[in-house]
Amino acid sequence: MSFANLDSSECKTSLEKSKHKFSYSSGWGIDQSNTRYQNKSLINKKNADSLKLKWVYGLNHKTPRSYPLITEDTIFIGDNYRGLVALDRETGCERWLYKHDGFFSSAILSGTIEDKKILIFADRFKGIYALDATNGEFIWEAKVTDEILPMYSGTPLVVKDKVFVPVASMEVTLAMNYFYGCCKSSGGMAAFDLKSGELLWYLPTIKEEAGLINSHFWFVQEYGPSGAPVWSSPSYDYELDWIFFGTGQNYSHPTTNTSDAIFAVDAKDGSIMWTRQYTKNDLYTAACNISENHPNCANPMGLDVDFGAPTILTKSLSGQKLLIAGQKSAEIHVMDRFTGKPLWTKKLGQGGIIGGVHWGLAVNEALSLLYVPISDKEALGFTYPGESKPGLYALDISTGDNKWKYSRASRCDDIECTYGLSGAIIATNDIVVSGSMDGFLEIISADKGKLLWSYDSWKDFDSINGVVTNGGAFDAHGPMVADDLLMITSGYSYVGSQKGGNAFLVFQLEQEN
Amino acid sequence: MVKTYDLASRRRRIIATFIDFILVPSLTLLFVLILGVIEDPEDFTDRWWIVHILLLAIFSYLLLNGFLLRKFGQTIGKAIMHISIVKSEPNNNGLYYLNLLPIWKILFIRAMFFPLLYMIVIPWFMFAPIIDQILIFGKNRRCLHDYLAGSVVVYLSK
Repeated sequence: MSFANLDSSECKTSLEKSKHKFSYSSGWGIDQSNTRYQNKSLINKKNADSLKLKWVYGLNHKTPRSYPLITEDTIFIGDNYRGLVALDRETGCERWLYKHDGFFSSAILSGTIEDKKILIFADRFKGIYALDATNGEFIWEAKVTDEILPMYSGTPLVVKDKVFVPVASMEVTLAMNYFYGCCKSSGGMAAFDLKSGELLWYLPTIKEEAGLINSHFWFVQEYGPSGAPVWSSPSYDYELDWIFFGTGQNYSHPTTNTSDAIFAVDAKDGSIMWTRQYTKNDLYTAACNISENHPNCANPMGLDVDFGAPTILTKSLSGQKLLIAGQKSAEIHVMDRFTGKPLWTKKLGQGGIIGGVHWGLAVNEALSLLYVPISDKEALGFTYPGESKPGLYALDISTGDNKWKYSRASRCDDIECTYGLSGAIIATNDIVVSGSMDGFLEIISADKGKLLWSYDSWKDFDSINGVVTNGGAFDAHGPMVADDLLMITSGYSYVGSQKGGNAFLVFQLEQEN
Repeated sequence: MVKTYDLASRRRRIIATFIDFILVPSLTLLFVLILGVIEDPEDFTDRWWIVHILLLAIFSYLLLNGFLLRKFGQTIGKAIMHISIVKSEPNNNGLYYLNLLPIWKILFIRAMFFPLLYMIVIPWFMFAPIIDQILIFGKNRRCLHDYLAGSVVVYLSK
């Protein structure tokens, strides 16, 4: 296997051949239940060790945060402050670029408008965009107008003719400003029409209007309640026509019973079916990163243990329908889908600002196993009670029994090379794929937790597009699998002091001659 | 007989600049606080808050120094340190008369360099204030902004 290096004319030829009949994921969670289980995969325990690097695409930014969409012949990925690129799946050459000067925060989603294939993505600060998948032409953009400073950090979910958009708030970081009066906004979930981008409904996670609660420096007025942002993609239940999602902490007093909670919502009109709060009185903003005495850091400061990872819909071997949620506290909560009644909870580590469970879990229903990546990395100087227990855990879906754990020592003693699994994972066939913050991409056997294959990404790469490219931490959306391909972005420099990088790596099973 | 003045010492000029360096942003922040220009989420829906703060900074500079500059060629820092901006027109003895620089030159040439001082904390951009200020160590004790405005700073001996 060697690096391909085609010129643009050859790329254009391959564009004409593009079929674009189907994609290998229907959302962030591979399916709309967010199981993160890929059933269109040839990679398994027996052949995993034959994976070889096929090509590398150099991204424009050291903290890439886009999860690719794969079709039979194309890979779509967001390139921060450059645009959405369509890459030839075989060679990595660029078919087209939709120029976009913004920060891609989501997976690239696929939808259909009257037989036309479209792509949906979120810009973290600007809104939601729809493009023609064949040529990258702009179709519509949409924003949530019910909130003053919405942040589109989580991946939307396309279901039939709707796009569900999780909404967080920029106030969480604006609060660092001493002259800012924290905080007025709520998190929420919005539904847009897939065809037009028109807002169909918006559900704030805090119903009460924020009111004046206090002031500091004599003049700066503080407001509340606020917060309860939605950071991640919802999961969708076809039978109930409900969506499920988790929320984050409150930003200011008074606290609400919808923070650090799970919501079940009617997809038709956004009416709440049930909510269940798991952590009360969790108050935190980025002001607390500066000092607990910062006027915009609520007293008492909470642990910031929001639900950053999407909820998962699955079923036990006996057929019981379950809802699973992983929290930054390192707790796994399993609920009855219809009522939200807790069935079991398990705490696997100490938790922290970047987890505990940070970005996402995976499920293998055939094995009745839930795979839980635990970060437990100290970030921003906050220490949490208990012992740090980073690693990959396999739990019995029905009981929560711990079936196995995979962990190892960190690459080195620097904070940048601390081992831990902050990024989301993916399961397929009889394996689980995880990327660690110290830069190793690893394949673990699904049944025993044995390491089958490992790749060290902390190096420089010759990229297909000639961009100076280096690997770094694996974090955020994690790996994608499609047929004999495994792909992931390496590099992520954020609040966890991870190593930045800009490498989009594509591996392929070595072909037998 | 018209009184003449010698060049201000570098020490006095640096201390005077430091006083202004602290006073102007302090008053700006006070206005920011009182007027609440970055207090509400609405303020951050566009980039106008940057312009608002910039305008408040200019207003603060003029409020603190405008009268003194017009009347005596001094900022507050320079007044405290007994130094003044005058035209660079030395007599035969190398001393200077109290010929004040036109206010437009003070505001639109000299004062334009004042905000550069705050770039000292920004990597790469720090070269701008360094280049401006380093020339004070020359024989004429004139910064770049002095050369451009045709000014020197003299010590108002008691």
